[in-house]
Amino acid sequence: MNEVLAGLYTGFGVALAPMNLLYVIVGCFSGTLIGALPGIGPINGVAILLPIAYSLGLPPESALILLAGIYYGAEYGGRISSILLNVPGDAGAVFTTLDGNPMAKNGEAGRALSLSAVASFVGGTFAVILMSLFGPMLASVAIHFNPSDYVALMVFAFTCLASLVGKNPVKTLLAALMGLMIASIGIDANTGVARFTFGVPDILAGIDFLVIVIGLFGMGELITLVEHQITGKLKVLPVGKSFVSLKDLAVVKWVVFRCSMLGFFIGVLPGTGASVASAVAYGTEKRIAGKSGENFGKGDIRGLAAPEAANNASAGGAMVPMLTLGIPGSGTTAILLGALLLFNITPGPLMFQQRPEIAWGLIASMYIGNLALLVINLPLVGFFARLLTIPQKYLTPLIAVLAFIGVYSVVSNPFDLYMIIGLGLFGWLLKKMGFSLAPVILGVVLGNLFEDNLRRALSISGGDWKVLVESSSSIIIYVLTVLILFVPPLYGRIKKSRMEKKTAE
Amino acid sequence: MADRIFGCIALAIALGYGFIAFTIIEAPFQYDPLGPETWPQILSVFACLCCLYIIVLPDGTRLKVLGSTLMRIAILLILLSAYAYLFEPIGFILSTTLFCLVLSRILGATALQAVVFGVASGTFGYLLCAVILDLNLPEGFILKLLRGLS
Repeated sequence: MNEVLAGLYTGFGVALAPMNLLYVIVGCFSGTLIGALPGIGPINGVAILLPIAYSLGLPPESALILLAGIYYGAEYGGRISSILLNVPGDAGAVFTTLDGNPMAKNGEAGRALSLSAVASFVGGTFAVILMSLFGPMLASVAIHFNPSDYVALMVFAFTCLASLVGKNPVKTLLAALMGLMIASIGIDANTGVARFTFGVPDILAGIDFLVIVIGLFGMGELITLVEHQITGKLKVLPVGKSFVSLKDLAVVKWVVFRCSMLGFFIGVLPGTGASVASAVAYGTEKRIAGKSGENFGKGDIRGLAAPEAANNASAGGAMVPMLTLGIPGSGTTAILLGALLLFNITPGPLMFQQRPEIAWGLIASMYIGNLALLVINLPLVGFFARLLTIPQKYLTPLIAVLAFIGVYSVVSNPFDLYMIIGLGLFGWLLKKMGFSLAPVILGVVLGNLFEDNLRRALSISGGDWKVLVESSSSIIIYVLTVLILFVPPLYGRIKKSRMEKKTAE
Repeated sequence: MADRIFGCIALAIALGYGFIAFTIIEAPFQYDPLGPETWPQILSVFACLCCLYIIVLPDGTRLKVLGSTLMRIAILLILLSAYAYLFEPIGFILSTTLFCLVLSRILGATALQAVVFGVASGTFGYLLCAVILDLNLPEGFILKLLRGLS
């Protein structure tokens, strides 16, 4: 406990430095701005702004604080287009549209937006508090992990991903494998052998992480925007003057509390982020509401508060494995992890000891960021809503320009400009084929870590593969892996047969 | 059907990847039990299994793209490539102006709107990113000439 307090003291010392405080606010603001653009989800927003934040030449802790602000801001901004346009920016926001958009249609857009801002704030703050309590604890356990335990953790992460994300587990797994394969391109650090470079000098050092992120998430999204351009006309609903009341808050307070808890723990599971958390939260609350839950989907405030609280709590929860184990809990945190690596900081259990100013500074900045977002969002929501009226004909070129600026300012190699166009096409095709892109980026980020730990584990054992299942912690992790693999489908089957029984009666 | 085609293409890539991993990659000398080839070998085996599963048991995803949409995407890709091609030689301001002008015109802006928008994004983008934020952007020959004259 003392350790936590001391850490927070250091962290707030870093985060409250005037310049860093400014970066938190700038990050939150620009994050909300880009998250609120129609069709741009949080992950795309972070992807587009990451290289620009990187090439500003800030010290690592400031740059990370800026990025975390963008991350949180984009999550906040995403709900504006969900509620007013009925266009979810990403899979996690789908459940926000279910009750948020009907409320806006009833002329209660202001109430819906302010309520979801409060729910997000509570969920986010809740997650940061839990994170400051559990993060160091998990780190002190993980510090004893050996390479084979890390291999087990990776297997666990990818199993979680396959079993919980997306409709088709095999497709999710294949997407992750593609990411791992992309990561294997370039010179092998241990032996100096070039792999899969085909003699192209531009990829000898591997495909730059930023290029992959911008290509898949920035350019891919751009193509999607152009694809949908004429197919549907979007209508922005007015914000109006309605506002959240104390009575509303009293109604949803337990909903928010439960969903924050739920969201945090789902977020902690590696690989599963906001999409799973908001879906589970919405379903659970609907069941708990029982008879009065019939209004869910028609503009029930509980149906709006539940996924929003869970969404933001899971965004915080996903940071826990990222900071303490170096294994991101979601696609967006995978991008943040890549950003840490760009600054030569390897997240993991040692980070809390070796670079406390970064680990705790980041945590403290999240406390401030959440508060800043609430303050920015309540009065300025009308301004952000106006962004939705930016016509596509201007928005689309601007996204391309932002992506080009981002890539060029970091890498300064025209070859990478073609690369992002190609990767964008690839990402768009994958999405059309029903793959999700988050596993790809997780694969890219974890690829080298996975391989290095496997090789190290086998070096220690002198080539004996049994080493992978020898330590007690790795066995525990494999047991958990098996549980994750089999419990959700079984649970689904039991629920289905119960439903059938009910209808038979 | 689209699933199966995609599965076949992915399988071909995975096989090619595996072929390279199993035959070509080799370290001249190494001290560790696992060389640079083992990891790609493991990946290729798993990837091939996944592709086979998708080919045998497709989940029926259809690729629904209209011809006109495809046309628009093709135009976008050509424009992006042209933008990438011109980005360094003619500089950020000019290439961005041209790109924004043409793309917004195609997406339905009037000629005047497109010109104003293009010029504005080129100049303001450069001012904001290169001058205020000090990012590295290609200045192009016009600015170079101006700098040479002054």
